[in-house]
Amino acid sequence: MGISTLDRRQFLCRAGVAGLAGMTLSEPALAAADEVGGYGVLVDTTECIGCRKCEFACSQSNKLTELPLEAFEDRSVFDQPRRMTADAYTVVNRYGDTAGAVKPTFVKAQCMHCLKPACASACLVGAIRPQANGAVTYDPWKCMGCRYCMVACPFQVPAYEYDHALTPKVSKCSFCFERVSQGGKAPACVDICPPMCLTFAKRSELLGLARAKIKAHPEQYLDHVYGEHELGGTSWLYLTSRPVTELGLMEFGEKPIPEYTEPLQHGIFKHGVPPMLLFGLLAVAMKMFDSKEDK
Amino acid sequence: MLNTSRLTIFTLLALVLCLPAFPEPAEGTPAAPQKTDVSNDCSPCHRTSNPSADDLLPAAKCRRSRTNENLDEATPEQPEVVIMDQLTDLYVPVVFPHKLHAGMEAIGSGCSACHHHGEEGKIVTCRTCHEKTNDPGNLQRPGLKGAYHRQCLACHREWSHDTDCIFCHAKRGAIAGAESKGNADPTDITGKLHPNVAVPDKTVYPTPEQEAGSMVTFHHKDHVELFGKHCADCHQKENCSRCHDSAGPQKHVRQDSHEDCVKCHDTSDNCAKCHKDHETGTFDHNKSTVFELKDFHKQLACTKCHKEGKFALGKKNCKDCHEANWFPSKDFDHTKTGLVFSEAHKDNECEACHPNGLGEAPDCSACHDDRKYPKDQPGERTSTAPETPSDEKAPVETK
Repeated sequence: MGISTLDRRQFLCRAGVAGLAGMTLSEPALAAADEVGGYGVLVDTTECIGCRKCEFACSQSNKLTELPLEAFEDRSVFDQPRRMTADAYTVVNRYGDTAGAVKPTFVKAQCMHCLKPACASACLVGAIRPQANGAVTYDPWKCMGCRYCMVACPFQVPAYEYDHALTPKVSKCSFCFERVSQGGKAPACVDICPPMCLTFAKRSELLGLARAKIKAHPEQYLDHVYGEHELGGTSWLYLTSRPVTELGLMEFGEKPIPEYTEPLQHGIFKHGVPPMLLFGLLAVAMKMFDSKEDK
Repeated sequence: MLNTSRLTIFTLLALVLCLPAFPEPAEGTPAAPQKTDVSNDCSPCHRTSNPSADDLLPAAKCRRSRTNENLDEATPEQPEVVIMDQLTDLYVPVVFPHKLHAGMEAIGSGCSACHHHGEEGKIVTCRTCHEKTNDPGNLQRPGLKGAYHRQCLACHREWSHDTDCIFCHAKRGAIAGAESKGNADPTDITGKLHPNVAVPDKTVYPTPEQEAGSMVTFHHKDHVELFGKHCADCHQKENCSRCHDSAGPQKHVRQDSHEDCVKCHDTSDNCAKCHKDHETGTFDHNKSTVFELKDFHKQLACTKCHKEGKFALGKKNCKDCHEANWFPSKDFDHTKTGLVFSEAHKDNECEACHPNGLGEAPDCSACHDDRKYPKDQPGERTSTAPETPSDEKAPVETK
């Protein structure tokens, strides 16, 4: 069942309705995952040991691969920085040499679940949506495969099933949406993390925790919670001991990406007034030309 | 019917969860004293029969009074090994050689290095505070799994430069018969059976900023073999990876050696004693002190005369072996003590200055009202002479 049983007419019809609904509903939906209500995860990179158990749990929980635990114990993967793939919603990278005097830092990467996600803003069909619990979810049945989300994402997260010729999907961390929706159960990666460097809680509580950790151990942490303000805030937050640019994370301003594009995009069609005005003017102009010619 | 069976299951579950499964002392380890043993008898914990809040007098083995004593004596009930079998879905239980680690507590930061945040002096297990899952009410307190891993890895990461799970965890099913007991033989890891440690004979520390001398020669071997120092006398609050580092021991860089030296040496105003412009030789009693060791004295252990490991000059415990008047008063060459008498004192009888006995400090009051030894000296100190006893931080007490 699903999109394969829809014909083109039905799909376009629904897309049109969704589009119309989106014009009026998109703004409240974007605001739903605000800082108070949504869940988040605090990643303490100073505690991460790079055991890759989160990758294993993610793979198992989301049925991405059938790889056994042993496959995730291979540490040679750290020799090269990795990105998320269609088979891996999350990857751990190592920054710094194991033989060096300074301990290497391991950084888990996955969808940051932005509060104002650029991918959702870019999605033409509303397949990617921010949810009230903090997750940014993807609905493959709506997706038409344009991959604008992959271009839009500032964290370069979404991957694509290029090897599925007929039913390719965009793939990215779902924040274990089903689990989190069941009474705030933690995502699979958080549950398995041996040193518990991933903490799952309400985002507002996590910011408090992060501040408390920084205050208690100023020698261990930089006084910055990555994701608190970056691009309007993300549900996943990072504590680091080194500048984020050394850890494969990019520095961003506080303005959400959609705020660069949406004023223009939405302004053109706001409440249908600009197009109606334009076409109205056209109609008046044509009428005037018509009447002139008639004379 | 349904309700009854549910209740039974719930009760059983509650019972299982409440069973004290950790830490489990291995076989042969003295078990912790039962509560009933101390119900009416205060002596196991107090040295007084009537302890009060002001006068507790905790017994030496009481962990509340524990400082850095030998753990073996202080806490005989400490577990030899701890089997961590609380969280074992992917791996077999971890056999943690507790005693082996605890044996180093004097060199490290004491028991509290791991048993942290507890009440002063009280040792609690990890699971006393850390629940199996994260406590949503206290996000700063990780669950038991996080507590174990963070505690171990804080040092192990530095030591092995690696965080491979299988270093501590045997994989479930990987070792036949290892399911219940772990893969280590507990008899192999008995306490302080530490392999020999390679220590330097001497270390020369450059001290270019010192006016008195540009280097300090520290004779490590002398301190251990002659002066009877134990590792933990100087090495305290050491990081484990100082010695246990797979990449080789870290180079010993002391920012402030004085911290260690002042425990025995007075470093306040005699810089040149240690800071010299050349390397110094090992300790030679005949050269470095005024008391030449001959015949019988040569055969004695240092501590026979220098009690309690203190080497201050002046009063020795001669009288432990020698009768009160053993000094050959007429023939005694007083310059051997590093003092050349002034003319006025040269012909004095011994007892005139040493009324309390010849091994005791002189008393000037018989002749001088305003003179006092050691501030005032009855002559000149010779160039090879040691400092007066007053320069020493801790004069040896005679019995």
